[in-house]
Amino acid sequence: MIWVQLVNGLMEGMMLFLIASGLTLIFGVSRIVNFAHGSLYMLGAFLTYALVPVIAPGTVAGFFAAVILAGIGVAAIGTAFEVLALRRVYGADSLMQLIITIALVFVIRDVVRWIWGANSLSVPMPDALMGALVIGDTYFPVFPFVIFAAGLAVVAAMIGVIRFTRTGILLRAATDDRGMAALLGINERMIFTAVFAAGSFLAGIAGGMAAPWGDVNYLLDTTVIVSAFIVCVIGGLGNLYGALAGAMLVGITKAVGVLYFPRLSMVLIFLIMAVVLVARSLGRQGGPAR
Amino acid sequence: MLARNLIGASALAIAAALAGSAHAEGKALKVGYVTGLTGACAPISEDGLNGAKLAVKDLNAAGGILGRPVELVVRDSQTKPEEGGKQARELAAAEGIEMLTGVCSSAVLLAVNAVAAEFKIPHVAMIGSTQKANIEAFNPYFVQTQANATMEAFAAAEYVAKKTDWKRITPMGFDYEWGHTSVDAFTSRLKELRPDIEIAAPVFTKVGEANMGPYITAALANQPDAIFAAVFGGGLVSLIKQGQSFGMFQKSNLVTLLTVDTLQSMGDAMPKEKVYGIGRAPFFALDQGAELSAFIEDYRAAYNEYPTDWAINGYDAMMFYAQAAKAAGSAEADPVMAAFAGSSFDGLKAKGLTMRPFDGQMNAPAYVGEVNFDPAYPFPTMKNVEKFDGAALMFSEETIQAMRDAAK
Repeated sequence: MIWVQLVNGLMEGMMLFLIASGLTLIFGVSRIVNFAHGSLYMLGAFLTYALVPVIAPGTVAGFFAAVILAGIGVAAIGTAFEVLALRRVYGADSLMQLIITIALVFVIRDVVRWIWGANSLSVPMPDALMGALVIGDTYFPVFPFVIFAAGLAVVAAMIGVIRFTRTGILLRAATDDRGMAALLGINERMIFTAVFAAGSFLAGIAGGMAAPWGDVNYLLDTTVIVSAFIVCVIGGLGNLYGALAGAMLVGITKAVGVLYFPRLSMVLIFLIMAVVLVARSLGRQGGPAR
Repeated sequence: MLARNLIGASALAIAAALAGSAHAEGKALKVGYVTGLTGACAPISEDGLNGAKLAVKDLNAAGGILGRPVELVVRDSQTKPEEGGKQARELAAAEGIEMLTGVCSSAVLLAVNAVAAEFKIPHVAMIGSTQKANIEAFNPYFVQTQANATMEAFAAAEYVAKKTDWKRITPMGFDYEWGHTSVDAFTSRLKELRPDIEIAAPVFTKVGEANMGPYITAALANQPDAIFAAVFGGGLVSLIKQGQSFGMFQKSNLVTLLTVDTLQSMGDAMPKEKVYGIGRAPFFALDQGAELSAFIEDYRAAYNEYPTDWAINGYDAMMFYAQAAKAAGSAEADPVMAAFAGSSFDGLKAKGLTMRPFDGQMNAPAYVGEVNFDPAYPFPTMKNVEKFDGAALMFSEETIQAMRDAAK
């Protein structure tokens, strides 16, 4: 039983991380708290819903192709938003930034409702990922495993890019000291745009990957953004590894908690966050939160 | 002079055209329709409104109510009680509405019901249901035209009790008023009917939970023969889809709220068996008559989909009101309320429906059946649907009185 819950927890943690990582990266570089991040996740789910029937429905390859295309679509929309709107308020006060990202939440929500309606939609699961691995009397669902593995691949790629490529070096430089990076001739604007696009892509594929597991509806945006913020707070906003640890902590606490403290599992997560906040958010890496 | 005459003439022409388009004499009878067009209730609210609009169309085509054209004044409650209450108040105070309906969420229902009592306007409930409105928050202007949450849970308990090979049950529910009321009612009635059944501690999830996996594992930990789940919408879709990956339909059965909108959302992802659904007005299982067929045809023509339970309830609520107002010969609140109590109504969802003035509850039936794939429809339906007579599911007047006294 507990092992099944662990699988549940790991999958939820991975999903949370994919969302929270974009949120935290964007904040790390541009100091923008992107309230619309949940909307990008929701958009990824809807685009996947639209694409799956077009690209080889029922196959694993078709599903992942749809997810990646959806991610690219969301990244394009995110980039357009960054270039057309967000770019104008980087210097402005945080209230302005807040309003502009919240405006995007409403715009995406209304457009999605207009196109797909308000009813819950269902993305069919690829046939090969349906069902479970039965060990003894216990059913280990296949889909969460695969999603977790796919998520791990994304995380590995992301960490690889950040640590070992020139883009990654520039990104870390801009996160560490924006002014200095600019003085050295790094194109700050390009970095901001690229990070926003990457964050949007991550949110988009997270939405797409989770789509067959649950339902797709236009309220997913708010459902997901709260948990993503909790993860960021636990990990320290701007701290990628912190977000990874925070996401896994939240996912596993929720899943295992419901088995032993059914009435408390939601509360536990907020408790963890409260403790982290009270302990003055040193982040999980030990450095002071920025 | 000529110009002035022309203006006068065209104004007259416009007025005549306006009156003509309403094609019924008399002042319009305004119906305040407060519903959650945005927020958690949106999918359901839209269906209910579509049904009500068709009713208004049919009523006006037949000359309106008491010769007055019917007009829906629609307001969005955003599925928030304060907003719903505010909208209802504004409609009552400024728009001159003579009836309130449309509310979806049970919390909004209570807020709107308070406004209905204050302004003495008949409030006809058609989607939202909570026994509070019949018991401690009851007022004489309240009419509930469907089986309330308690009655629905009782129907599920009656149904489950007949499954003699089911010995262990785990209840699940959304962690808010409706979920808890349903789980409590189901548990208490089932214990009475089948003392031998073991009922595990209920598992509650937050409303609309997308990752049901952990809760499914927890519910299956008790090795139940069936799970009773008071969940709906997206959370329910998640429960059924994910349940299949956890062997839920190998190890257990599921009894839950399956309205037509959920059946449509599930589509092919619905398991072929072991799912049992409670419906409020499943069009495919109702007594088929000319009126129902005509309604289904009109609905499909207008909205390009099959009517959901909410659409049928929306239509019935408007028609029940129209019948009462005609019988009363007036749209005044008190005569209309008296007419509600005194008349028997043949709706789309059932015939011979009456309203009990003691708590405003209509003896509306609940339907429970098992999932079925009928090639005639592009989505799963239900077979062997059992109709539970509403009268047998309602609390007796003594019980209600006792509950009212206890709530004081």
